[in-house]
Amino acid sequence: MDGSVLLDILSRYVFNIANIQGMLRLATPVVLAGLCALITDRAGILNIAGEGMILLGAWFAVAASYFFGSSMMGLLGGIVAGLVVGALFALFSLKFRAHIIVMGIAINIFADAATIFLTRSVFGVAGGFTDPKIVGFGAIEIPFIKDIPILGELLSGYTFIVYLTWFLVAATALFLYRTPWGFHLRAVGENPEAAETMGINVQRIRFLAVMASGVFAALAGVYLSLGHLQGYVDKMAAGRGFIGMAVNTFGGGAPLGVFLSSLLFGFVDMLGFRLQAERIIPIYFVSMMPYIVTLAALTYFTIRRENARKRAATKKA
Amino acid sequence: MSKFMNSMRGILQRSFTLGLSILMAILVGSIIMLIDNHNPIEVYRLLLEGAFGSTRGLFITMQRATPLIFTAIASTLAFRTGVFNVGVEGQFFIGAIVGTWVGYAFQMPAVIHLPLTLLAGFIGGAAWAYFPTVMRQKLGVNEIITTIMTNYIATFLISYLTNYPMRASATTPETPPVQVTARLPQFVEISKEFGKGSQAHVGIFIALAVVVIMWFIFRRTKLGYEWRMVGLSHMFSEFGGVNLNRTFISGMLVSGGIAGLGGIVEILGVWREYKNLFAVGFGFRGNLASLLGGQTVIGSTVAAIFYGGMESGALSLEWGAGVPRQLIDIIVGLVIFFMAAEGMWDFLRRRKAAAKSGGDAPTAGQTPAKPAEKTEAAGQAAQAK
Repeated sequence: MDGSVLLDILSRYVFNIANIQGMLRLATPVVLAGLCALITDRAGILNIAGEGMILLGAWFAVAASYFFGSSMMGLLGGIVAGLVVGALFALFSLKFRAHIIVMGIAINIFADAATIFLTRSVFGVAGGFTDPKIVGFGAIEIPFIKDIPILGELLSGYTFIVYLTWFLVAATALFLYRTPWGFHLRAVGENPEAAETMGINVQRIRFLAVMASGVFAALAGVYLSLGHLQGYVDKMAAGRGFIGMAVNTFGGGAPLGVFLSSLLFGFVDMLGFRLQAERIIPIYFVSMMPYIVTLAALTYFTIRRENARKRAATKKA
Repeated sequence: MSKFMNSMRGILQRSFTLGLSILMAILVGSIIMLIDNHNPIEVYRLLLEGAFGSTRGLFITMQRATPLIFTAIASTLAFRTGVFNVGVEGQFFIGAIVGTWVGYAFQMPAVIHLPLTLLAGFIGGAAWAYFPTVMRQKLGVNEIITTIMTNYIATFLISYLTNYPMRASATTPETPPVQVTARLPQFVEISKEFGKGSQAHVGIFIALAVVVIMWFIFRRTKLGYEWRMVGLSHMFSEFGGVNLNRTFISGMLVSGGIAGLGGIVEILGVWREYKNLFAVGFGFRGNLASLLGGQTVIGSTVAAIFYGGMESGALSLEWGAGVPRQLIDIIVGLVIFFMAAEGMWDFLRRRKAAAKSGGDAPTAGQTPAKPAEKTEAAGQAAQAK
């Protein structure tokens, strides 16, 4: 591939406002799934149930929106579902000492089956459910900002959940690094014994972290079923719960890192659609890239940490 | 003798917990059915009848259980070497696609072709387990995250293969059919009557052979002993005499290999060609079956057959009574919730013990790690009095 082709591809696929908007939209559920992974990871818990939590959040958002005829009720329905699953997950894994990965797999299989079952028994249809009575989120134009050239197009015209997600990234960063609660959370994740000695209630912090992860995942589900589409489709989480773990790893466990690496995933997603339309290269290799990059990053971080540890050990000796 | 008694007590205790968990899951399941306007007793009767009540049901049970036995044994072997192999899912797929290629691309007599195809499946699965294993053993990278990533890479890689280089059909992404010389015969193909209405195939004997071999390795050989020791050493960290790296890696590779073998057996017996993403979830269900069976070879085999039976029953339930077959995954999920919740059963046990010893409840706050649990147990005990 020579330079001019590359330039052509760049100008068509990257430096193009519609594409950047697409990337920001597609990244939104990934950011939320990433925050779900982040908040539990920071509390020292490996939560692989994100996938199932997203599905339940998406389903209950659609159900609430359909029965109450309001997108905000849909949002509320999704959040409540996320809180309930999070609380059950925390109760079983923390208080009843169930193996956290076992619980994660069980929740994922359970949620997948339960949402299909519910769609069939509540709405009487198979495969998915759409109906004009489901109220989704509309695009919001921000006054003044929308009139600024370029920036207006980039920042305005998204659905409510997109703005909420941006806010949550900032709020999570503030919470983690600027509040005593955030400090406690990080202490619990880094060294639970030391945190315990400091008088931090490790169990309570972890319980709350798991519940918060349920809400983040459910919001990702709400975005999928009421923002991205207006309706429920079986298995609509499509692996985003696991992608959330990937972006959290790739983003180094920091909210801004999660946001930026989600943009990478969103970009790849968007590129996949475009390349598929133009039949340049098979999309599967593009879709595979984020996972390979995450594996590489994971290896790199681990080697660096090991080296630092070894250096520290030799210095001591 | 006392060792025997101890192990019997362990099995009894585990069976008791499993029984209670199933009972609770059945209860919760009944509530779901009642809300959904089905008669639970009728549904459970149909479920069991569908799974075990007719020859046809039994054969479908066998068909559904065959791949699960492989994935459950693969998970069990990994558990025993101290690893949670979430990657069984991806290893199953890769074994299936590599085996499928050997199955359709070559022409040779069946005596060579079939074993070669099975071997290719085994090697494919083992190769897919290699990277996460080495990452874990050499660098200490968490295998759960890496195997989740490799599962996804596997599904995209296979989507590519079935859509481009290996694609044979213009309408759907699927490979050419495997040669007759590489197929595992279905019972119905051997005799017209035996196994009618199912796709059960002789792969079940391969599955059972794997079970027997693994049981023998764990019970009677140095290798099995070393695998178990490596699993323990992940907990105790201090260990001598065994080449830890090599033993651990061999355990994980064989685990991946068994998963891959399961994938190709499913293809050669049931599908005869690779349809893109033909069997999502066999790996995860194998993980669960292994857990249900207490991470033992025999236990996870029984659990896999039971799980297969429930799926077979659920299929006939869907055809017969219009109850969505997903009901069974809901119930198995619930069984796992209750069974995994050791603490919940401890709590009951402690309450009984406390009641027996005259309400002599443990003092609250002695161990800072679980103060809430202790006080609650004490409070409950006092109430029970």
